[in-house]
Amino acid sequence: MLEAGLCNYVLITYGHNARSGDSMKKLLFAMSGDDAIFGHFGATAGYAMAARRAMHEFKTGPQTWKQIAVGQRKWANLNPRAMMYKQTMSDRDYDTAPRVVEPFGLYDNCLISDGGRACIVTTLERARDLRHPPVTLMGLGMDNPSADLTRADYLAGPTGARRAGRQALKMAGITLEDIDACQIYDCFTYTVEITLQDYGFFQPGEGCDWLRGGTIEPGGSMPVNTSGGLLSEAYQMGMTPLTEGVMQLMGRCEERQLGPQTKTRNPEIILCSDNGGILQSHACYILRRV
Amino acid sequence: MTYTKPLPQINPDTKDFWEGCRSHLLQIQKCSECEKPRWLSSFMCPYCLSTNTRLFNSSGRGKVYSFVVYHVAYHPSFKDDLPYVVALVDMEEGFRLLTNIIGCAPEEVHCDMEVEISWDDVTKDVSLPKFRPVVRIHP
Repeated sequence: MLEAGLCNYVLITYGHNARSGDSMKKLLFAMSGDDAIFGHFGATAGYAMAARRAMHEFKTGPQTWKQIAVGQRKWANLNPRAMMYKQTMSDRDYDTAPRVVEPFGLYDNCLISDGGRACIVTTLERARDLRHPPVTLMGLGMDNPSADLTRADYLAGPTGARRAGRQALKMAGITLEDIDACQIYDCFTYTVEITLQDYGFFQPGEGCDWLRGGTIEPGGSMPVNTSGGLLSEAYQMGMTPLTEGVMQLMGRCEERQLGPQTKTRNPEIILCSDNGGILQSHACYILRRV
Repeated sequence: MTYTKPLPQINPDTKDFWEGCRSHLLQIQKCSECEKPRWLSSFMCPYCLSTNTRLFNSSGRGKVYSFVVYHVAYHPSFKDDLPYVVALVDMEEGFRLLTNIIGCAPEEVHCDMEVEISWDDVTKDVSLPKFRPVVRIHP
């Protein structure tokens, strides 16, 4: 639409009083349908079901997910906008958290937040005249494997991330080696693992080793969810990864800015993801600083 | 005692299934074109879009595909059941359904565990297909 001149600026926006209101809870409850007969409700259990199958198929589990929860919290502790800015999380905090729907404990879940996000898309030509440095979209891929979970065989991967990731990298003309950081839709810890795994950052079940030593944390070799993400900053749907990816590339992230001050690479290319349902739809997009 | 948990929202698509349950029959739709069984019921085959459908009675035997253990009651009526198990079960005939695993402790449930149907007559009109571990040896 922008290239065709149908419009000049597109505003992508989101706002929700999900924490102070009850609309999110009502939405999740309504989604359950007849699953409620068996006491099956909401998104936590749906992803926990996927995570349990993954534990069976490739030996993942809380030792892997802990590194994601704790690692992202360290980013949130550098982000004054994050709900968890002032709350640190230790390995022990994760281990001793109340069980919610096993295999998930409290800290495998994302937050429920009040808030809003906005992002403006325009042509590169127009963007060059604006206040902030432009960020371009290099690649995009989407895959929607199934509408019905009782017919889903991908809960332990490959999810839609496999094909969407390949499409996005192909369109961008790059490989994973070129990625400086990731902003992954992290509704649950396991979502981050399966998404990175399906993108090809590590082989099935090798996530625990890949994450070890703070790979995704400040100072790590592949920073992930540098705002704290949905797990530790705020749940703003797919806007949390999108806006963080854009702002990091613009250099607007202050204390958590990727680069020398967080002992990470200066970011030029950031890979982002979004997914919907219980791993039923997936989008991967790659952003670049120009 | 009044049953306070959610009950099935029976519609023309699912009527046959729930009527079967009432008679303790796991009555499942199978597409007459592509021969694929499906659950939940629908007027059209999700694989080949045929509306040509017949019913068959499932053996009621299957294996746990995956499962979760609830430690939080999202509806107050489930509070006394905590912790309880919700599972996806792969049935012998090639379809998968959502159910509860009963008759064993949650920590005994595992993926690929063999299970068989155990009817739960929750009201005079509604029986729920739940599953329990297959017991191979009777002492």
